[in-house]
Amino acid sequence: MTAQVESPAPPDAPPAKPRRLPLWANPRIGLVVLLVLLVALFTTLRPAFLDTRLTLTPLQSDISVYLVVGLAQLSVLSLGHMNLAVGRMAATSAFAMGLVHDKLGAGLIVSLAAGLLVGALLGALAGLIISRTGVNSFVVTLAMDFALVGLITILYASATDGVAFPTMPSGMEALRFDTFADYCMGDVCGPRIPLVVPIAIAAALLVGLFFRWSRVGREVLMTGSNMRAAELSGIPTRYRIVQAHALSGLIAALAGFLLAANNGAFSASIGDSFLLPSFLAPVLGGTLLVGGAVSVLGTALGAALTQVIYKGLNLLQFQLDQLQLYIGLVLLAALSLDRFRHVLAERRGAKL
Amino acid sequence: MKRSPFLRLGLGAAAIGLLATAGCTKKSDNETAAASSGKAADQVKVALVPGGAHPYFQPWKTAATEAKTELKLGDATFNETSGWDQTKQNDVIKSLAAQGYNAFGIFGVAPENINSTFEDLKRQGFAVGSLASCPAGDVNKADFCLSTDTGEAAYKATKAAIEAIGGKGNLVHLTGNKVDSNTQRRIAGVDKAVGETAGQVKVIQVVTDIDTDLQTAQKAVADLLAAKGTQVNGIVTTAYNPAVAAAEGIRQSKLPIKLIAIDDDKTILDGIKDGSVSGTVLQNPAGQALVGSYALLKLSEGCTMAKPGVVVDSGSFIVTKANVDTYETDRKAKTDELRTAFDGQYLTCK
Repeated sequence: MTAQVESPAPPDAPPAKPRRLPLWANPRIGLVVLLVLLVALFTTLRPAFLDTRLTLTPLQSDISVYLVVGLAQLSVLSLGHMNLAVGRMAATSAFAMGLVHDKLGAGLIVSLAAGLLVGALLGALAGLIISRTGVNSFVVTLAMDFALVGLITILYASATDGVAFPTMPSGMEALRFDTFADYCMGDVCGPRIPLVVPIAIAAALLVGLFFRWSRVGREVLMTGSNMRAAELSGIPTRYRIVQAHALSGLIAALAGFLLAANNGAFSASIGDSFLLPSFLAPVLGGTLLVGGAVSVLGTALGAALTQVIYKGLNLLQFQLDQLQLYIGLVLLAALSLDRFRHVLAERRGAKL
Repeated sequence: MKRSPFLRLGLGAAAIGLLATAGCTKKSDNETAAASSGKAADQVKVALVPGGAHPYFQPWKTAATEAKTELKLGDATFNETSGWDQTKQNDVIKSLAAQGYNAFGIFGVAPENINSTFEDLKRQGFAVGSLASCPAGDVNKADFCLSTDTGEAAYKATKAAIEAIGGKGNLVHLTGNKVDSNTQRRIAGVDKAVGETAGQVKVIQVVTDIDTDLQTAQKAVADLLAAKGTQVNGIVTTAYNPAVAAAEGIRQSKLPIKLIAIDDDKTILDGIKDGSVSGTVLQNPAGQALVGSYALLKLSEGCTMAKPGVVVDSGSFIVTKANVDTYETDRKAKTDELRTAFDGQYLTCK
């Protein structure tokens, strides 16, 4: 699912002919091919890669978390902004979820809703500061990240006797351990897909629909593509900035929830490792850093690709330094291939 | 009609949800894989998984090789790629399990939720030991926990520091990650020893979060000595990097500060020999890995824990100038003693 708005052409330029890129030049197709090749390679080297219980099921949970993390970043990349506080927003929201459950005895849905609200409010606050002051989103969210690091430590120290809530709402356990194979209708049981996967897919679908079909989503992309043009077209760009950041906070909160479900506790360390993957998945998938174009499907493929690489290298039992080296090399190769394909497509297009 | 895609999606999801849940029952949880018991030594593959790369765990690497030959294990490996991230560590562990490793000695990155990882492994029938750190709280869901009693070690170190400064004065405590329950135990251990002096000794500062790397620790020590160097009588360190940094810092600044360090980095041992470090608290990493592997083997062979989840102190020793050349003998003796204790006391074998 890709959403893009064209920048308005200069008034005297001849109208550009819409030219479709050939199928093989679509970056999403490239990612799928790469993904298939890597899975084949890892399976050949280590047949355990296809072990459902120990490899494929946990892999799906991981991809789900990092897909949602990527979506949180994608929401602000649509504006050409960044959210460097994505991890801490997740951590603060997870704290809110834990607090509402632990102190008020709330159930899963209410706790989740409270956390999502906190995430959205934090995002909206970042958006508000950016839109009112005009300070770069990089600086604002970086400052927010620092502030939240301290806040989270203080909050956990005051509300718990350690760094995590001792209890979790009922149902989190099922999200952590169960797959659809545990639920049967008569003799027919579901596939071995963890329960967190549909949540991530639903989030991806909603974000995709938001940017593709909703007026607000289109206007956010327009704002990201050319702020001035958007303003002149009557788009309330300041509101759109606040809304996109609120969406980012909301999704970051969901990512925090999914990670808490996967790890088994609402703890202060949630979100520590979100920052780089949050950029990696959307950018690998073709989302532009300058704004105006997002790709949800690409983000899903990007998240899947990074997790498959990580899992495969883990299975090959590389030592620490080699692991990092190879992850870097494989990603670099993936990005270069993508660029190469793009350039080739452009050239072919020019000859046509 | 503007919202129709959302509406349609919502309706579709609701319909699927209803269909899926109607008449759906949950399978009972008896999926636990074949029990870990009854394996021969050469079928047991032990994986030692620390939370990430750290000098403390380096003895585990040699201990893994030693355990493999001595205990005739199928394999023993050491994997430090978890990068201090619980999610990554879970991933590393699952990958090792997929590779056929069936007994795990784990230093959990996050003591507060490592129990869920242990539970996960136990459900699959693997033998699990929590090494060098126990889960937060009172429950340990691994078969056993073999670790330094961090609170006790910090208490011992502080007692030694109080003695070194003559029972009166100001102490500073340098330690690791504040949002870690082991650090909280260390802080409590220091406070306990200081509390026993009836106000004669005060902790004027606790510096946390400086065990990430040596550079961070060096900077923190330099800042501390510049700001408060003259008011400080003694420093207690309960983490590796701050200990090394403090030993270097005090030697360079030539301040009359008594230092009780932790572990046996060369800088610290040299400091003890030349008198710039008063003493150090040694832990027993090699013993944890060796005895841990031994217990994991026994559990895989069919023994059970007399008390599942038992917490065993792997020992901590104060080393001063007097015993700096002979401490290795004490440590070895403690390791042998632990192994005997596992045989006679903690394990029940048919």
